Amino acid sequence: MRSESLRNIWMLSKKNMSLYVKRGPVLIFGLMFPFFLVISWILGRTITINQIFIGIVAMTSFFTSTAISPVILPIETREKSLERLLSAPVSFNEILLGIIIASTLYSIIITSIISIIFILLFPTLIASPFSYIIIFIGISLMGVLGSLLGLLVSSKPTDMTSDIMVLMNLIKFPLLFIGGVFIPLSSLPSSIAILYFFSPLTFVTEMLRSSVAQTNLLSNEVSILFLIGWIALFLTLNYVLHRKTMPKRFSEAASGPKMKTVRKK
Amino acid sequence: MIKTFEDLIAVNHISFRIKEGEIVGILGPNGAGKTTTIRLLTGVFELEQNSRVEIYSEDLTKAPKRLKKLFGIVPEISNAYSDYTVWQNLNFCGTIYGLSKAKIKERVDILLDRFELSDKKYAKTKTLSKGLKQRLNLCMALLHEPSILILDEPTSGLDPFSVTVVRNQIHKLRKEGKTILITTHNMQEAQQICDRILIMNRGNIIADETPDNLRKNFKPTSTLAFKMQDTLSYEQKEKLNSMFNLKEENNNLFRVISENPLEDISYLYDFLKKNNIQITDFKLLETTLEEVFIHLIKNDSKFTGDDVR
Repeated sequence: MRSESLRNIWMLSKKNMSLYVKRGPVLIFGLMFPFFLVISWILGRTITINQIFIGIVAMTSFFTSTAISPVILPIETREKSLERLLSAPVSFNEILLGIIIASTLYSIIITSIISIIFILLFPTLIASPFSYIIIFIGISLMGVLGSLLGLLVSSKPTDMTSDIMVLMNLIKFPLLFIGGVFIPLSSLPSSIAILYFFSPLTFVTEMLRSSVAQTNLLSNEVSILFLIGWIALFLTLNYVLHRKTMPKRFSEAASGPKMKTVRKK
Repeated sequence: MIKTFEDLIAVNHISFRIKEGEIVGILGPNGAGKTTTIRLLTGVFELEQNSRVEIYSEDLTKAPKRLKKLFGIVPEISNAYSDYTVWQNLNFCGTIYGLSKAKIKERVDILLDRFELSDKKYAKTKTLSKGLKQRLNLCMALLHEPSILILDEPTSGLDPFSVTVVRNQIHKLRKEGKTILITTHNMQEAQQICDRILIMNRGNIIADETPDNLRKNFKPTSTLAFKMQDTLSYEQKEKLNSMFNLKEENNNLFRVISENPLEDISYLYDFLKKNNIQITDFKLLETTLEEVFIHLIKNDSKFTGDDVR
């Protein structure tokens, strides 16, 4: 990749981080939502500190990574800044990568802070020094994957953030419930466990579980391979779908009710 | 160029060429395909098969990044980041166009001074008025010193002061030798600014002429306007009506639409002299671009069976 492209991607990522981190939907769905979800999950239940750590880190990573990427394209379509970017010397792929990187970094930073606080409070939690690396790889891969998932949902050519967030939540919650956060994969019958493989979160929770409790069913290598597979799939889907729907973001204005053009026969 | 949206042809096999240093206006009713044409030219829409855009004889799709740097684009509605300050928007824009930090600083100071925005350098863009936002758009478009400027209805919805500022700047840019493509609904503006005018309707270019040629070639009529000293009698009005296509306005003011103004002036003079009628004012009005535009659009729609209100 040329240095000009790298500079563009970094500039776009910085712009996305500085402009969208404080937006309402990002704060609500990225920070407040997982916070209250964790509180309601922990209160009144007997849950081990290991489980709490896995749950909090997995949920934070999942929610923060899927918070920024879905809102950028609808907002920029509405504010017309997407059109400026497309007419500037910036490629379509650079725009998408700028969103993915901003969203991933936001997720990694927030989740790392939460993890570090937790580890400082409970120093005996981590199984071995190698586990720190596994946790970081897990958080990073989840960051990329969540960003890609959010971006994929925002391929719907709308300028309404609420439309995308509703759709995002419809996808997020089933993935969360079959992601091994609340019930570990190892404690399920195989007929139900198969469902868990459809949630990318499963592999992250398995990696976290190996780092703190070592009660994981899947090895770290298998989890990483599955996560990379999901990333490759989402990356391809994003490229194909956004290429297809990008012109439709501007076509509504061009083919609105006032338009009187030749109709194809 | 051609552009289709599902079952609609927004731009229908149009072709035109703009010379370096020329100012070309695109006029057309809403939905004529003006903005789609600009989006195709600037790479917002991908070109369809058999479409080609050449900038200085180079294919836009072959070197899009390098060729896009030749463009400066001013949209109708501000597309600057509303949560960024004026400086942040310009800095981001400069970096994307590959300018160095020192160059950005130098150009920002020059442009903010030129567009009287220096005191707003650190103001959030969302706090600016529409006129100031449009001036910021011009700064953003000119930051990288492009040789081609594309302005999409740049004065639409602005107050008269901002309109004057924007128009003066366009005149200055013309003197600097910039090539300018402008879309507008304002016929007076097009007449004043443009060397050549393309009129678009329903995705097609229906006229491509200089403003003078458009007026001469497309609607060879003039308007004779005259004011009588006294009120005409009913018989006199009837007589005039039978001779000319007469329209009466208030205070004894009449207008005659004439296809042969010299001959009609002669008839009118004879009639007034014979009836001993004094006139206090007389004007021969040229055909306006607006009349040409309406005439062309109506004719095009009549030809294709569409209604034009």
